[in-house]
Amino acid sequence: MEAPDEELMLAYRDGDAGAFETLYARHRGALYRFVLRSLKDRDRALAEELFQEAWIRVIEARERYAPSARFKTWLYTIAHNLLVDHWRRKGLTLVESDEEPVSSDNPASQAEARQGLARFLQALEGLPPVQREAFLLHEEGGMSAAEIAAATGTNEEAAKSRLRYALMKLRNAVSDG
Amino acid sequence: MAEDPKVSGRYRELPREEPPRALDDAILAASRRAVEARPAPLVAPTGRRRWYVPLAAAAVITLAVAVTLHIQHDRPGEEVDAVNPPMELQKTPKAEAPAAPRPFSAEPRADSAASAPAPAAPPAAQAERKRAEGAMAGARDSRAESRIARAAVEQSPESELERIAKLRAAGRHEEADTALAEFRKRYPEYRLTDEMRAKVEKPQ
Repeated sequence: MEAPDEELMLAYRDGDAGAFETLYARHRGALYRFVLRSLKDRDRALAEELFQEAWIRVIEARERYAPSARFKTWLYTIAHNLLVDHWRRKGLTLVESDEEPVSSDNPASQAEARQGLARFLQALEGLPPVQREAFLLHEEGGMSAAEIAAATGTNEEAAKSRLRYALMKLRNAVSDG
Repeated sequence: MAEDPKVSGRYRELPREEPPRALDDAILAASRRAVEARPAPLVAPTGRRRWYVPLAAAAVITLAVAVTLHIQHDRPGEEVDAVNPPMELQKTPKAEAPAAPRPFSAEPRADSAASAPAPAAPPAAQAERKRAEGAMAGARDSRAESRIARAAVEQSPESELERIAKLRAAGRHEEADTALAEFRKRYPEYRLTDEMRAKVEKPQ
């Protein structure tokens, strides 16, 4: 049976570098996609920077780690905080806004959107950031509404509502495709 | 919670982007460096490495005894004190219990040196005593400083944020920036409220 994340993190805290490698291998892809797809225009260079910073903070905070919550929730909370900091540096307060972003008028992207998958991706990118984040935490992080609420600092009802709206809009994109 | 297999299915059809291998390597190297840099664990090793524990303990005890004897040998004035304590010490009421002996610690000597007047001693011994007292005072200061530093590090995130806010309000931005960066490393999961963020972050 696979060791739980929390056990691996405790082992790493106590000096077992191999435990971190297992933990990293387990979460690298999902966390990377969460960060990448949370960013406007899916800026890869920035996604890599934030992804690396999230893991460096895990490493640096290892001595304080106590499994009071799931490791995954802790990890995504760190990534969420980095995204918030990034948005604030840019003068944006995207996380608290449920407003629809302005849709792209780019003819090329509209042409792409005619295809099913591209249309779905465009719908995902067009979600209000808090809804997109809730959806990504659910899909990539496998999180429940309660865990999404914990990772993003909101209440469970708000998390449920964000996820519900996100699914509703994406469902339209799937059925239109 | 609302689930939609069609939406999930479509999402899974999107390209599964992954971090570049070089980024993996950099992160894993950082994780290894971090644990290699930490002190050895306090738990006793097992297996073939077990033999060195008693040997290391014996070596430490021998060294401590040797250093203690060496210090006593180098400070003849103190030995005179022990044999012929000054009058003030002899007059100490019996109700005041003497401090428990601590053979490997310099602190009792520091305390008695601080509270009791120095007896008449040759100039060389007096100079030696002054040096020793200075060194002990320095050690006390440095212990106090490290206690303060430790307390600062161990304080709650909220009090640390208040401290950063005060630095910021006082216009000590460089110190505030450093402290905030350190705070974010220590408490990466801590969520700053908008109110606190306005107090601790550098104004745009």
